[in-house]
Amino acid sequence: MQSTPPTDNAGETLNGAPLSSSIKDLYKIVSQVGEGTFGKVYKARNTITGTHVALKRIRMESERDGFPVTAMREIKLLQSLRHDNVVKLYEMMVSNGSVYMVFEYMDHDLTGVLSQNQFTFSDAHLKSLCHQMLAGLAYLHHKGVIHRDIKGSNILINNRGELKLADFGLARFYQKRRRTDYTNRVITLWYRPPELLFGATVYGPEVDMWSAGCIMLELFTKKPVFQGVDEIHQVEVVFKLLGTPTSDTWSDAMSLPWFELVKPQQPLPNRFREAFQKWMSPAALDLAEQLLTYDPNQRITALQAMNAPYFTQEEPTAARPVGLINLEGEWHELETKRERAKRKERKSTT
Amino acid sequence: MAADFWVSSHYERWIVDRATLHQARAEDIQFAENPEYLDYLPIYFANLITKLGKKLQFRQRIIATATVFFRRFYLKNSYCETDPFTVIAACCYLAAKAEESPVHIKVIVAESKSLFSQESYGSRPFSSDNGKIAEMEFYLVDDLECDLVVFHPYRTLLSLCKKEASDSSSSEEGETEDLGVGIGPDDGPRYWGTGDGQLEFTPAALQTAWSIINDSYRSQLCLLYPPHLIAIAAIYLTFILHPPTRPDSSPVAAEHISADGARRRSSRQAHNPPRAAATPKKPQDPIAFLADLNVSLPAVAAIAQEIISMYTLWDRYSEDSMCGVPGVGTPSGEGADADGGPDGGHITPSFLSAVLLRMREARVMDASPIAPSVSRPVAVNKRLERAQAAG
Repeated sequence: MQSTPPTDNAGETLNGAPLSSSIKDLYKIVSQVGEGTFGKVYKARNTITGTHVALKRIRMESERDGFPVTAMREIKLLQSLRHDNVVKLYEMMVSNGSVYMVFEYMDHDLTGVLSQNQFTFSDAHLKSLCHQMLAGLAYLHHKGVIHRDIKGSNILINNRGELKLADFGLARFYQKRRRTDYTNRVITLWYRPPELLFGATVYGPEVDMWSAGCIMLELFTKKPVFQGVDEIHQVEVVFKLLGTPTSDTWSDAMSLPWFELVKPQQPLPNRFREAFQKWMSPAALDLAEQLLTYDPNQRITALQAMNAPYFTQEEPTAARPVGLINLEGEWHELETKRERAKRKERKSTT
Repeated sequence: MAADFWVSSHYERWIVDRATLHQARAEDIQFAENPEYLDYLPIYFANLITKLGKKLQFRQRIIATATVFFRRFYLKNSYCETDPFTVIAACCYLAAKAEESPVHIKVIVAESKSLFSQESYGSRPFSSDNGKIAEMEFYLVDDLECDLVVFHPYRTLLSLCKKEASDSSSSEEGETEDLGVGIGPDDGPRYWGTGDGQLEFTPAALQTAWSIINDSYRSQLCLLYPPHLIAIAAIYLTFILHPPTRPDSSPVAAEHISADGARRRSSRQAHNPPRAAATPKKPQDPIAFLADLNVSLPAVAAIAQEIISMYTLWDRYSEDSMCGVPGVGTPSGEGADADGGPDGGHITPSFLSAVLLRMREARVMDASPIAPSVSRPVAVNKRLERAQAAG
């Protein structure tokens, strides 16, 4: 057999990641850049080509059940996807009891890059980022894949201003013709669409479009818009901005399993335009509203969204934020979090 | 669903030539008392995978994927230096996960234990340790180079053949919805076909073609040819078994051929006699249809030939241990019967189990002196494999 049985002492460890000779020779770990659904993500340098890659180590040791099915899903999905706006999986490496996924390296993630204030995104830049995200989603949905975890830290951006969707740990293929039951315990709370909060288990790519709407707003406000602390609160936060759904705007809501449990106490008006017109242009507001439509059947699809007047008619035309090349440092949610924690610590000690 | 075959790992890395197949068996041949017996092992193991898969209530697709995983693993490993039974269990476990129908590892272990402990498989004690399967799975994933997307001929079959009648209540009905990756109508115009028109197949004929594809996994074809060619070869063979209704063909003759010439060993064979010939209908020229497909017809013919040879081999193999050769259940193979091969009888699972055991023993005996482990000239090098696949 090609591989040697796992031994305890082989390979040097950096940040607790044992690397066997093969992977250690080829890739040198530079730093940790993230925490995926099932393992840490490192920045590493290919010692031959000098280029950087992202190494994602799949945690195996805790798995008495063998290869994690989520990891398998992500590998299968990524191997069958090829698009400019989807992160590229270069190869898989197996060594020393661990499986590594080797990705193209991306300098920033959206959460990180929005939190910095050296580089200011123009409206044309934001339009480009929004369009690239939608292009990635349109491709995934065309391929029959729902991402199910669209959020700032899973949207990667490089210094050429290219945006790519990443972390397919929760993604899965769906049947285009026949809708089947899936778990509703997906999508990070702040980006979770109301139908999932109401307990729907039969759903499709529309769930990603709600998350995309949240991201679109976040591009302008620089921070997540719906920050609930639990499911019930999340619903409240959404209703406070977008108003409570009515039988007109969302006729199927009543039939969802948890509707009675989380239904609004008193009707609230839609305050969206009033709150966001200072951030966004009229066409941008229109598109965001179509993405954040309560009724999943009426929510705009990724392909439709790409052809919205916001992109096709309204000035300025989209332009990639190529100026990021001059941005100092690399901005990932992980560092942003650490930075915040450090600041807090400093505050509390002084 | 997703994935384009022509840029897939299946096409780029896992279609090999016959020399590679032969090399992969080099060590086994060295330790086998009669290399001829090795030819039966693909049938033996594929039947085992099917049996285990049926016990686990797998869809046909999962069984097919597990078989492909098994074949790919043994491109890089020898039967005699591994435990094929553990590999089979791991392949089934992995395939179920890869095909989105995971089964708990305990269930796999329990079913494997009960199946492999049967006398015909040498009453082997199968470890009930989950960790063993999990570990084997890890080596399997490694040797598969994490290429878990496998294409199968079923989808090509269904996209080429529309069912004539709707009276088919075949067990495949449920599966047609969920064929997973494959070359199908969703992938744009068939570059290798006319792009229009479908073959008119009776339900019985479709069932036959489906069964022939199932049977093709008893051979090594899934390593040699792209799945859509295997599907076309299966359609071609189906035409021989269910002659299409052409104006000039007499129904009686057709009935005769299909009754006699058909090899009806397949486990999923339709039980109803082919009625295709009995109902004369508007003519579709199947020869022209096949000729119009932009595929290598010599390759299709080669596949068809290979399937027929596999059936010939399968005829000499019997799952029924009772009609097997007496005495071959013991590892030593007492008597001339075993050593000289079954006399007139069939090759049986217990016979092959004994052959395997002797191969393992021979290898251990051979390796016990300080001799460096035999290096097999197997294409483990990706680039080499690719070159071979291309050439």
